Formats: sequence, structure tokens, C-alpha cells
Amino acid sequence: MTAALQFRNLTLGYDRHPAVHHLTGTVADGVLLAVIGPNGAGKSTLLKGIVGVLRPLDGAIERAQIRKRDIAYLPQIAEIDRSFPITVYDLVAMGLWRRAGLFGGISRRERDEIEKAISAVGLEGFEGRTIGTLSGGQMQRALFARLLLQDAQLILLDEPFTSLDAKTISDLLDLIHRWHRERRTILIVLHDLDLARTQFPETLLLAREAVAWGRTQDVLTAENLLKARQMCEAFDRHAEVCETDAA
Amino acid sequence: MKAFMSIRRSIFAVLYAAIAVALPAAARAQEKLPVVATFSILGDFVKNVGGDRVSVTLLVGPEGDAHVYQPSPADAKKLAAAKVIFVNGFKFEGWIERLIKASGTKASVVVATKGIKPREMADEDHDHEQGVDPHAWQSIANARVYVANIRDALVVADPGGKETYEKNTADYLAKLAAVEAEVKEGIAKIPAARRKIITSHDAFGYFGAAYGFEFIAPQGVSTETEISARDVAKIIRQIKTQKIPAVFLENISDPRLMQRIADETGAKIGGKIYSDSLSAAGGTASTYIDMMRHNIRQLSAALTS
Amino acid sequence: MYDFLIAPFVEFEFMRRALVGAFALALGGAPVGVFLMLRRMSLTGDAMAHAILPGAAVGFLVSGLSLFAMTVGGIVAGFTVALGAGLVARSTELKEDASLAAFYLVSLALGVLIVSLKGSNIDLLHVLFGSVLALDDATLILIAGIATISLLTLAILWRPLVLECVDPNFLRSVSGAGAPTHLAFLALMVLNLVGAFHGLGTLLAVGLMMLPAAAARFWAKDLTSMIVIAVAVAVVSGVVGLLVSYHSGAAAGPAIILVAGVFYVVSVVLGPVGGLRRHFVPGRHLEA
Repeated sequence: MTAALQFRNLTLGYDRHPAVHHLTGTVADGVLLAVIGPNGAGKSTLLKGIVGVLRPLDGAIERAQIRKRDIAYLPQIAEIDRSFPITVYDLVAMGLWRRAGLFGGISRRERDEIEKAISAVGLEGFEGRTIGTLSGGQMQRALFARLLLQDAQLILLDEPFTSLDAKTISDLLDLIHRWHRERRTILIVLHDLDLARTQFPETLLLAREAVAWGRTQDVLTAENLLKARQMCEAFDRHAEVCETDAA
Repeated sequence: MKAFMSIRRSIFAVLYAAIAVALPAAARAQEKLPVVATFSILGDFVKNVGGDRVSVTLLVGPEGDAHVYQPSPADAKKLAAAKVIFVNGFKFEGWIERLIKASGTKASVVVATKGIKPREMADEDHDHEQGVDPHAWQSIANARVYVANIRDALVVADPGGKETYEKNTADYLAKLAAVEAEVKEGIAKIPAARRKIITSHDAFGYFGAAYGFEFIAPQGVSTETEISARDVAKIIRQIKTQKIPAVFLENISDPRLMQRIADETGAKIGGKIYSDSLSAAGGTASTYIDMMRHNIRQLSAALTS
Repeated sequence: MYDFLIAPFVEFEFMRRALVGAFALALGGAPVGVFLMLRRMSLTGDAMAHAILPGAAVGFLVSGLSLFAMTVGGIVAGFTVALGAGLVARSTELKEDASLAAFYLVSLALGVLIVSLKGSNIDLLHVLFGSVLALDDATLILIAGIATISLLTLAILWRPLVLECVDPNFLRSVSGAGAPTHLAFLALMVLNLVGAFHGLGTLLAVGLMMLPAAAARFWAKDLTSMIVIAVAVAVVSGVVGLLVSYHSGAAAGPAIILVAGVFYVVSVVLGPVGGLRRHFVPGRHLEA
């Protein structure tokens, strides 16, 4: 089993306070992994670390042969300027950045791909709308379409289903499973335990430290969930320097 | 013993002599009347009348622009230390009254243009600043009045110097008369039809009226008013129809506009003529007399060729 | 009609030059202005007018009243301020507006200090800022050149620039082009502003960049149309403003800007996109 990602004693955090503490483990290539945990458990932080937006306070993340351009990241709160006058079409087309580059024209074939991506997420008819007119759910779907076009090897989704209706969630899950069949590595942060149990074969239960990691049914046990819930959410203002070396 | 006594006497004599020389010098140094003149031309007049008896400080130095001058705290200090303050008047220094109040000075304020009949601003179509033309010094006849007012003020402030002031004034008036003759001669040499120029600063009204010369300006008096296309068009048309031969730059304004008008009309660009201030020390117009001489020479050179 | 509209330009070369100058500024500056507006940097123009002072002052100290030296100095100072502010905004918590304010204030103070050292109280900026009616060959070439560079640069940087405005995090995650693009845009802005200050004065420079952009906001939904409309408004304002200045005697720069201002007010009230019209006259709703 080749590893897509390797965490070596990884500690990520803010202002020296750890949000992810001494994480060690392997994310296998092609895995569909749900990341579950209470609020403040470090799930978003972990994804940010993988993308490279956050630098580790300690330890390392090894991305085997995965370059920056091979990663597609859907953040929890997209800091998009909604008032900027571009259309849904243009927003989705950004996903082709890797192929089209700075000057590349968009070919007939690529235009087709864009339209296909837009309808795959159920946004046909929205191509000409400016992004400021979209609802939260529609915006999320447009960003998913962009993700589709990015054709990435590693896909990171941070709570992608917030504010979506059941039908949309079902459609997007189909997309995710399609990616999984295409042997892409997918990490997805979730809150819905039922969704995790029914849709995702592997789970990492994170509460700053890894509580459990492996097959979903083994991880999401009552005992593990209780342990996770006992993590303290707030950073300790009087914390001392951490002396522990490895997990 | 006798030798010793004589050495002591010699020493005393030398000391005495030294003191006798030093005291009046020291006394004279203590006596210099501190005065302030608001700008360089006025300052030059005061220096010529006051001579060694006054110490003149300027607010707006040579090459400066009194219209847009921003006084500093140092200027307030200068005012406070002065015994007499000379201002031009005719609203030339818009900022002076506030500065005088702020400085709390006890000095007497002398308006150098007292007694001079002011000219109106000659702008028929400019509706800004319907006011008085402050550049009265451009006519040497007026300069005589300036000098007389200065002399009278100095005599009041320092009665002990009355003789000196009167002599200085007389000397200076003679020099002024000489320059005036030069100016009139210079004008006479220019053919009557060519006695007109364009200059970018409407500051020569008094000169024009006194010596029969026409100054046409594209802008109003202050360097702050902005220009319109209509004004520029008028000037160009006027130059072309009246065949005005020369365009003059002067030391405070946008030379590019001058160049544009000259290019478009084929008029000659004359040299620099000075209107609101003297040139820096060592320049060709560092005193009032030099300035008038410089100006008339520039005018002649451009118009008699 | 001819007499009113065309004759002034035929008769006077300075009018033709003014037209070309305003035209060039409209072409190069209006698109930059649209981006500035969308990035909430509309007040940058005014800040820049002050920020360039130390550069102009140093130029003055070195070469006296040489417009070339002062303009070059101004550009250098402008670059320093804009790029410094941009870098700080990118790498720290401070946002663009605050970081620019900080830099330009320091720059302005420095400039005033340097000018006062020389002792003369010439209003340097007054000297540096030109007038649209006094455009000589060198200045025209400068303005036209800057317009060309602007258009070329915007064409080349279009995609990363738009991305950088809309979703900078996305850009950061797929490419390193974000920072250079941002800085290139700031440099372009400084070039446009200083060149326009030099040739046309601050009011005209900033005004023709920002007012048409603000007006265009109310007529266009997408970026390309917005830019086209902004350029059109700028060009028309230039022509009409010059004619107004010619026939009524109003000062040229302000006349052009006031015409642009009229466009702006009309756009706010009557513009179909996000203006006041929908507010007061909503119209009946559609079937679906």
C-alpha cells in the first residue's frame, strides 16, 4: 500500500497552542477517509496543514509525490468576494487553471467539460448568473464544480455539506464516490456520524490527538466517542512547554 | 620702580584704548534695530534705507511665493523678536494678520504701500478675485513711496538714526532714479507696436501702467487659480491676431503652459522676469534695482530683435 | 453644431492635445480604476498623491525644478509605498487600507521634512502636477506609453488578477502567481497615477480613474462590460468637459471631473444594476 500522506509526530496550531497534537500515521493512496471530531478538535487545522497554508509547529507532513497543484481544497468558509462581478461559469472555469495557465485559451473540449461540471452539480441554467446572486447551497455546489475540473489527485473537503438539502447532498456524494472509484485520495471533514457510518469506509477520530484511526465501524464506537468528547475545547492559557517527544 | 610704573601705565593705556574702541562697537551692535520684512523685495528696500542700523529678517525668502506661503512657528518667533514689521499690504500676504496675532508681538506694523493709489485687477472675464493688484513695487515711482514710508517708520522706531536713514534714503532714491531712466530708455528702444508680452503671472500691472507696456496674462494674480480652455484659447487668438512677439516665464508658475502657448503661436520665449520676489543671492536679480534692470534687459532682448 | 462641437478642436492644437491626453488616460486608467474599486482601494489615488512627495522632494534636491527628476523620484516613492503596503497586507494581519494609510502618512511626513530642509517654500507638488491644457510632446508620449503598458499588462495578467480579487486563497493553493500579480497591479496603479499627476494634475488623474468606474458599476453585471463602460464614460467626460471649459470658461480639470460626476449621479439613480431605481420603482415580479 503506497502512502499518499505521512504524518510524523505532527503538531499544528496557532500562537504556539496546539490544535493538532503529536499526530502520527499514514493516509493510504486512494483512500476515502472521513475526519470526525468535536468542535475545535483540529480537523480544519489538519487540512490546512496538508494544503500548506499552515506550517507545522513540530513534526512533519510528507506528501509523497503530490505537488501543490495536485491538491484540491474546499475550505469550510470560502473567503470569496461575493460582490465581484463574475459569473458562475467563470468561477467554475477557474478549476481549469492548471491546464489553461495564464494565457491558455479554453478549447472547445474544455468548454464542454465546464458545462458538464456545472450540470453535474445541478446548476444548469446558472451559468450566466453572477456569484453574488447565489444562495449558500448554490455557491457550495459551484465550488464543487470547480473542484471537479481541477482533476486533482488529493481532494480535501472541509464540512462540504453544511447548509445543503438532502437531494444535493446525495448528488454530491455520488460525485465523491466517483472520485473514489477513480482512485483519488479523499479526506472529508464531517459532523454527521450517520453519514460517516453509511458512506465512508475509513475514519479518523480526532480530538487534538488521534483517538482512533481505521475502519469506520471500529473507530466510531461509543467508547471512542466518549473519549473524544472529553477533550477540552479551549486553549489553556497557562500551559507549559510540551515535553512529550512522540505520540 | 620707575620702569615698572611705566609698564603698568602702558598696560592700562592699552586696556583703556581697547575698551574705548570696543564699547561703542558693542554699543552699536546692541543697537541694531531688529525688523522683519514679509518678503525679499520689501526686505531689500528696508536694508537700503536702514543700512547698518537695522537687522532685517525675511519671512518669504528669495525665489519664494508669498501667495501660497505657509508660515511656520519659527516665523512667529521672528515676529515676536522684531521691533518693526514691514508688510506690503493690498492683501498680498493673506496669512500675515493671523501670524501677527499668534506671535503676540509688540512690534509696530508698517504698511509699506501707504499712500499708493492701488490698481484694480484687470481681469475683465475672470470672475475670481475682484480685488486690488498688490504688486505696487513694479513701478519705480511707487518704490519711492515704499522707501519714504520705510524711512519714516524707522525714524519713529529709532529716532537716533534719523540722519543715517535720511542719507541712506537720499542715496537710494538717486539710484532708483538712475534705474528708472534705464527702464524708460529700454522701453523707448522697443517699437511701439511691439510693447506687449504674454506672461503667466498677472503681476506687472503697475509696471505696464507706469511705462506704457502691455502685459497679458493667462491666469489671475495668485498662482492657485486654475486655468480654463477658454482662457488659453483667448490668449492664443490674441497673440496671433495682435502679433504679440514674446512669451515670458517668471519665477513662480507652470512653465509648461507657457511653452504650449509659445509653440502654438510661434511667439518667442523670453527669459525669466521677476515679479514677486528676488532671485537667490548671487543671481541676476538679487536686489530690487538689479531686478528692474534684469527685467527691462530681458524685455528689450526679446522684443527688439 | 460644428462650431460648438468640432471647431475648438480644429482651431487649437492645445485642445487636440488635451483630447489625446484625456483619451489616453481614459484607456489606461479607467480599467485600473475598475479593479481598484472592486478591491475596495478607491481612496488609494488620493493617498498616492501625497505619498509621492518625498520622491519628488529628493528629485528636487538633486536636480532643482527638473520635472523629469521629480517625476522619476515620485514614481520610485510611489512604488515603495504601494509595494511596501501590499507586502505588509499580504504577510500580516493588517488589511490593505490600513497598511496603505500607514505607509503614505509616513511618506508624506518624510516629504514635508525634506522639502523644508531646502528652505525654499515652493509648493513642490503644485509644480509637479501638470495641466491637461499644457501637454507637450514628452508628456503626451509618457501618458500614451503608460496607457499602452497598462492595457498590455492587464491583458496578460487578466486571469490571475481576477482570481486574486475573487478568491485569493484558491489562487494561493494552486499557484504562486498571487503575490507577483498583486504587486504588478500595484505597480501599474502607481505608474498610471504618477504619470497622470505629472501630465494632468491630481484631480483629473484620480477623478478619471475612479468616477467612471463607480458609474459603470450600475450598468454592468460582469467585469468586461464594466470596464468597457468605464472607458466610455471616461472618454465622453473628457470630450464634453473640454468643450465645457472652452465655451464657459470653467477650469479644465474640474470641468471634466464634474461631467464625470454627472454621469455618476445619473448612474446611481437610474442605473439598472444595484442602483436606486430598483429601490423606488421595483417593477412587477416575473412569472418564474
